Amino acid sequence: MVRLWQAAAVIGAAIFCAFLSNRAAGPERRLPWVGDYPDARTVPVLLSAAAPTAVPSASRPPGVPGASTNEYPPHPDRPWVAISGDQALSLQGQGIPFLDARRTAVYLEGHIAGARSLPIWESTVDDGIKKLYEEGYDVNAPLVVYCSGGDCEDSHMLAERLHRFGFNNALVYTGGFPDWEKRGLPVEKGAPR
Amino acid sequence: MKSERSWWRSPWLSIRAQIGLGAIFAAAAVPKIFDPPAFAHMIYNYRLLPGSAVNAAALVLPWIEIWVGAALILGFWKRTAAWISGAMLLLFVGALTVNLVRGNPVNCGCFDLHAKDRPKAELLADMRWTIVRDAAILLLVAQVLSVNRKERRIGP
Repeated sequence: MVRLWQAAAVIGAAIFCAFLSNRAAGPERRLPWVGDYPDARTVPVLLSAAAPTAVPSASRPPGVPGASTNEYPPHPDRPWVAISGDQALSLQGQGIPFLDARRTAVYLEGHIAGARSLPIWESTVDDGIKKLYEEGYDVNAPLVVYCSGGDCEDSHMLAERLHRFGFNNALVYTGGFPDWEKRGLPVEKGAPR
Repeated sequence: MKSERSWWRSPWLSIRAQIGLGAIFAAAAVPKIFDPPAFAHMIYNYRLLPGSAVNAAALVLPWIEIWVGAALILGFWKRTAAWISGAMLLLFVGALTVNLVRGNPVNCGCFDLHAKDRPKAELLADMRWTIVRDAAILLLVAQVLSVNRKERRIGP
């Protein structure tokens, strides 16, 4: 028979060590004890086939990808809409902020030029969102969010978090960094300038 | 029959099974302890826990693994450690099986927390192999438990 007091001691020691190590960890490695993620128990959570997509404006000049930010009205009823690589490129040209939802270490290895790091899996994410407020960023203006493309959900999760903070116009670049790189568009390495 | 049982319970095999099991758990714990957010991401991908419980699991589970590993390697509370390791392995097998049935490919998150993007079919095949591997590790648990039962019977 298992000695219950021994099992309880192992679990107690584990909780104590977890508490100490989490306190000692840097911001990139620290976790809040209570997670703030969308319900993970439904499959798929975010990447549904019926993902809302930004509809290109009929007024766009032929052959020109993307257009003015008027094409992207706020969408307070849903946390994000998807955009293509062409649309992302156009928005970057207009100076729309890009937010990188991947881990800091991955961001440092390479990111879309000018993108800001807002890693959804790190404890700094809420501070990063608050900083957007402090900088006076209009909550109805577009923000492009991206991660690693494919099945990566980090950008959708970040868009949901932004939505809960009151940002109504997150645009998820679903192709993400791999698509950007494949197109040969400008990337940067290391910390943002 | 008797020789089979004595082979299964031989001290030579027992010490190796016990240390091997402990080493597996300790090795699995180390990368998770050094990068809890990556492990939380892996747990989230399994889609079995509510979002609010993911972080607590990511913080505590690796430390349970390291204590279980230490107990088995150093030889204290062996039976309790083996029971906990067996329960955790069954938990992992269950989590993988549920996701296999759902057709939801996940990276195991057992030893490597930074797995690259891979095709769905490859991930699902890996999950099957991981279940087989965990079943093999459960044999080590069974060995440690059976030997310790014997020690208890003949002990003072």
